[in-house]
Amino acid sequence: MDAPKPLVLLALTSMVVSLAGCFAGGSAEQSSAPQVSTGPVEIRYLIAQPEDTADLNLIKEDIKQFEAQSNGVTVKLDVLPTENLRTILQTQLRSGSGPDVFAYDTGPGFAGALAKAGLVHDLTPAYDKFDWPVYDFAKERVTFDGKLVGVPSQVEEVGIFYNKDLFAEKGIGEPQNLGDLMSAAATLKEGGVIPFSVNDKDAWPGGHLLSMALSSEVGSDGMDKLISGETPWTDASVVKALQVWADLADQKLLPDSPTAISYDNGNALFYSGKAAMNPTGSWLAQDTERNAKFEVGFIPFPSSTSKGIFSGGLGGGTFVSANSQKLDAAEQFLDYQMSPERGRWSVEKLQAIPAYPVDTSGIKATPLFTQILDDTAKIAEGSGDFGYNIDVLTNDAFNNAMWKGVQGILSGQSTPEKVAEQLQKNFKKAS
Amino acid sequence: MATLAGNAPLVTRRAQRRLGILLVIPVSLIMVFFFLLPLGNALVYSVVDFDGISATPPFVGLDNFREMFADDEVWHALGNNAVWIVIGTVAPIVIGLSIALLLWGVQRGSVLYRLCFFLPYVLPPVAIGIVWGWIYDPVQGVLNRALGALGLDALQRGWLGDPTWALYAVLVTAIWSYTGFAVVIFVSALRNVDVELVDASRIDGANSPSRLWYIILPQIMPVFLMVLTLTLVGGFSVFDIIFVMTGGGPADATNVIGTYSYNQAFQLSRISYGTTLALLITILSVPFAVGLNKLQRRLSLQGTGA
Repeated sequence: MDAPKPLVLLALTSMVVSLAGCFAGGSAEQSSAPQVSTGPVEIRYLIAQPEDTADLNLIKEDIKQFEAQSNGVTVKLDVLPTENLRTILQTQLRSGSGPDVFAYDTGPGFAGALAKAGLVHDLTPAYDKFDWPVYDFAKERVTFDGKLVGVPSQVEEVGIFYNKDLFAEKGIGEPQNLGDLMSAAATLKEGGVIPFSVNDKDAWPGGHLLSMALSSEVGSDGMDKLISGETPWTDASVVKALQVWADLADQKLLPDSPTAISYDNGNALFYSGKAAMNPTGSWLAQDTERNAKFEVGFIPFPSSTSKGIFSGGLGGGTFVSANSQKLDAAEQFLDYQMSPERGRWSVEKLQAIPAYPVDTSGIKATPLFTQILDDTAKIAEGSGDFGYNIDVLTNDAFNNAMWKGVQGILSGQSTPEKVAEQLQKNFKKAS
Repeated sequence: MATLAGNAPLVTRRAQRRLGILLVIPVSLIMVFFFLLPLGNALVYSVVDFDGISATPPFVGLDNFREMFADDEVWHALGNNAVWIVIGTVAPIVIGLSIALLLWGVQRGSVLYRLCFFLPYVLPPVAIGIVWGWIYDPVQGVLNRALGALGLDALQRGWLGDPTWALYAVLVTAIWSYTGFAVVIFVSALRNVDVELVDASRIDGANSPSRLWYIILPQIMPVFLMVLTLTLVGGFSVFDIIFVMTGGGPADATNVIGTYSYNQAFQLSRISYGTTLALLITILSVPFAVGLNKLQRRLSLQGTGA
């Protein structure tokens, strides 16, 4: 019985090598001495694929603009599909081969997790050095364990885009409360139009559906209490907000099988005029104006008693890898992104609203974008009442339960009560 | 029992041993790098709590395995795997064998037929998933439009968003994709079937099912078992086409162990638990693969088959 011995040895050796190799090379500790690059240097900048190719071209244009004034710093742009970004980025950062600068979500399950593992560079000294005028609420979203680890990229709000022409044609006014919205939807359905282009095949839009209905129902104070854990997620208000979408589905006021429709196809339903309302975020304003051949309005999701409030907040942020060998160049790139000129360019070209004050006087903006600019300015100033986009404030387990829960409601597999229970269970687990 | 090697001179035996080792090295290296090392990694991950980021994950012993057996979604996903294994194995084999039998006697254009049937198999699963996703689209999809044109509006639905139908809709796509492989393999096997035996059975009055069962199938049994093994094991490890078409949704309705494992590992950053689930696929599928392989070998040694 000599033959099996080499095989057993081979297997054992492999296992030992595996043990040694599993977590090796992944030291997440930030190097103690900041490394400074000198002379011509190229930094790698990783972003998620924008919704529209035109936006990607604008980002490339922006990079060229930076390079023209950077004294030798060049930027290599890497673009990944949004759904792959997280996995690939984490793997790259752990292996020490990550990008120098990357765009990523700011929530505790995203940048927070990277910060906890020491994979992102502490930008607190850079904030002091460059005096970046980021809004306080936005700074809070990129602060973990007292360290500012990112630069907030843009302010967004979630609400309902609606086809103004179609509303006028059907004699429908802007809904003043939830009852009005339901009546408008019924009228639209009778007129052969799909009232809402709700789509949830991708699951994540479900978080926005809950965010907008819940924010309007409980207001910003109520959202604060839910996010902080003071109010449980089994609260009647949460069940009621989920029930709104269950009712809309039951009354066939959504497309048939919304869980079979992707985000892009849902938007296409709205652009084509087949659907009258598109519940999503202000990031789609530019694409909407590019594609819709009708006048578009943007309203908050109404509450049972009022016009409701927008769910607002931070869209994402830009971060620097803790293992970057080109920290000064990376910070120089961030500083460029925080400049007033670049902020104005961002508003004008990308319709992306930076998380710092930008002089928008004289900017050519459509009425739709002007309204979004005004609204988001109120978020920044803290002068308006705004709800939250929940998924950027909660962790993966909660988001997963929320996304699947809303899918379950829309596909008739679950009830608002059961989903609320799951939300609470996962919220507690995260705590 | 005396062997040639046993009777050979010592120098020759040494040379043979060296040659043997030399020939085994490439396969051994492949085994080490592509099987043993990943398996070792998986075993290590399954006993720690690794989130994909931390460099020093805590040791948790068998906690991941305990959680797995108590996890309702694991049993639900296994149920979907079972549906996939049964339908996804039987359908391509039955349809593939039927088409192969029809093509058996075809002389003119047989290459073209085989090419047409085999083509879906060589297409990337991701491309197949995307294209069939368009076909199933509830608003713009060809399937619903065709049903509407035929007056079958009642059958129109959001195929991939309907929890009752979604898994079967994806299965149809997988069967379409895989049947061509079975066709080509069975057509090749049928070429080695002794036609004289078939003719003799026909003269003796055997009808078509009898000829298939008693004359043809025994002759192609090893090939039949090979196709059976591949489809069966594929049913345990199915991932890509479901991931592309539904992502395991809506609300886990089409989850199989493969998609659930991915979801846990890469969407919830629970690499260790995801790996434990992946090990379950291995543990479940290996006995089937080994059993069928042994049966195939025994039949080959008995001289049965094409």
